[in-house]
Amino acid sequence: MLALRRSIYTHWGWAWGVLAVMTVWTLATTLLYRAPLYTKPSWKTKVLLVADLLVTIAALLATELVQNPHSIKLGAMPVTATWLAGPALAWAVIGGVRAGAAAAIVIGACVVALRHLPAGQVLRSTDLDGPVILLMAAMLAGYIAKLSSRAEQAMQRATEIVAASRERERLARTIHDSVLQVLAMVQRRGAEFGGPAAEIGRLAGEQEAALRALITADDSVLLPDGELDLAAQLSLDAQAFVSVIIPAAPVLLSERAVWETTAAVREAIDNVRKHCGENAHAWVLVDDEGAEVSVTIRDDGPGMPTERLAEAAAEGRLGVSHAITGRMRDIGGSADISSSPGVGTEVRLRVPRKIQANGQAALR
Amino acid sequence: MRVMIVDDHPMWRDAVGRDLTEAGFEVVATVGEGAQALRIAGSVRPDVVVLDLQLPDVSGVDVTRGLVAANPDIRVLILSASGEHGDVLDAVKAGANGYMVKSASRAELIEAVRRTESGDAVFSPGLAGLVLGEFRRMAVSPDPNTPRLTEREAEVLRMVGTGLSYKQIAERLVLSHRTVQNHVQNTLNKLQLHNRVDLVRYAIEHGLDSAPD
Repeated sequence: MLALRRSIYTHWGWAWGVLAVMTVWTLATTLLYRAPLYTKPSWKTKVLLVADLLVTIAALLATELVQNPHSIKLGAMPVTATWLAGPALAWAVIGGVRAGAAAAIVIGACVVALRHLPAGQVLRSTDLDGPVILLMAAMLAGYIAKLSSRAEQAMQRATEIVAASRERERLARTIHDSVLQVLAMVQRRGAEFGGPAAEIGRLAGEQEAALRALITADDSVLLPDGELDLAAQLSLDAQAFVSVIIPAAPVLLSERAVWETTAAVREAIDNVRKHCGENAHAWVLVDDEGAEVSVTIRDDGPGMPTERLAEAAAEGRLGVSHAITGRMRDIGGSADISSSPGVGTEVRLRVPRKIQANGQAALR
Repeated sequence: MRVMIVDDHPMWRDAVGRDLTEAGFEVVATVGEGAQALRIAGSVRPDVVVLDLQLPDVSGVDVTRGLVAANPDIRVLILSASGEHGDVLDAVKAGANGYMVKSASRAELIEAVRRTESGDAVFSPGLAGLVLGEFRRMAVSPDPNTPRLTEREAEVLRMVGTGLSYKQIAERLVLSHRTVQNHVQNTLNKLQLHNRVDLVRYAIEHGLDSAPD
């Protein structure tokens, strides 16, 4: 461009000099502007920004010295041409909207001042177009830069959190396994020694059951709205004397059905504790048959003849059983209680699944 | 009878080894890593492998698969502390004969190893629940080759799952102890056979069955 428009330059050689300075400065800034966007700019970067602005203004104002004053007045392109937008954008990217706007205004003011126009004419001329576009571009660049640096920070934080929690899970698994091993060992040896050691063993067994229930309850499974995993809920109730036997897959039921069933199971277990003494054991089996889910609670207590069960029911002495039956009836299910001496008492709860229009049990 | 113990916790290895030796078993190897177990199984030729599922290198499921592939007559008894449900089920499908929790008493462990050696499936209530659940899950499959439980098998599994002993089940259903044992054994065989058929079908579908050219 310089070569083509030789006529507008009074000091052609000097103009080439300015161009050489601009080239060197472009290379220098390309190498120096390398700080990551999301860190606060260091003092070196700040010095560089100010220097960049000063060099650009100097190159711009050099037009005054190397160009023909007449050409300047007519609106010839300054030596720097569009190169002068560089620092405004750099300020915007590193310093944000306000810094970008400030740099754009300073550069724009210099461009306008170069024309030596009377104050009244400035606002009416097309000379303001360039500076205004530069101002808008700088502000937009500042906004987008801040936005992307914020997004990048958020992304990095999220990645860090995911990595940290994964590592924690891995450690927890190993630690839990070791703790379970020790608890199981204490329980086993304690029972063999008998006496006070057996008591320690029993306590270890309770903690083992509690910890195992906690680990087994896998909350990473995403459940459909309004539904809960009955198996996971029930396994939280496992104790040393209660074994909760569940399938590997989650057993999904409506939230209400899960709460009522869990409460019914708890009542049945309390009942075992109350009537069968300290040494009785109970099993809770969850069987997902598709169209219905059944939960069987059996104890190895003394049990009682079926006639006596019916008798008690007739005399209204089965208070707890009534509560259990009531809960199950509320959710459209049922409860059967059977008992015989030597086998213990068995409570079987049934919860129907809602049947969809196509005849398939929901969620299966 | 030759027993190999695979467990990364020295405390357990020693305790289980001592208990089994005292009970008259020949403990031919105790190892802490899965890869090592697979490597030496061929030379120490155990009849029964007592295997922990949580190993530092190879998973217990893979160890089971490797042991059974190398020697179909080997019996694997899973002895696990954490009772990770998916893993236990996978190990049993891969060919393990039984599963016990580590808190089981010494007498229960010895009995379990003895039964494993004679080829009987050792079902804890927990394993019965898992196997029952797996058949329930498969029951919705339209594939005619999917194995199904008979009424009786489901009933027996449910009873094992609620803690009844084979003897109690036999009394309640008026069956012999052996018949109850067979029902339980059948459920396990169906599951393992299905798993093998699945693997073969997968191999054929993916062209893994043909020898390389």
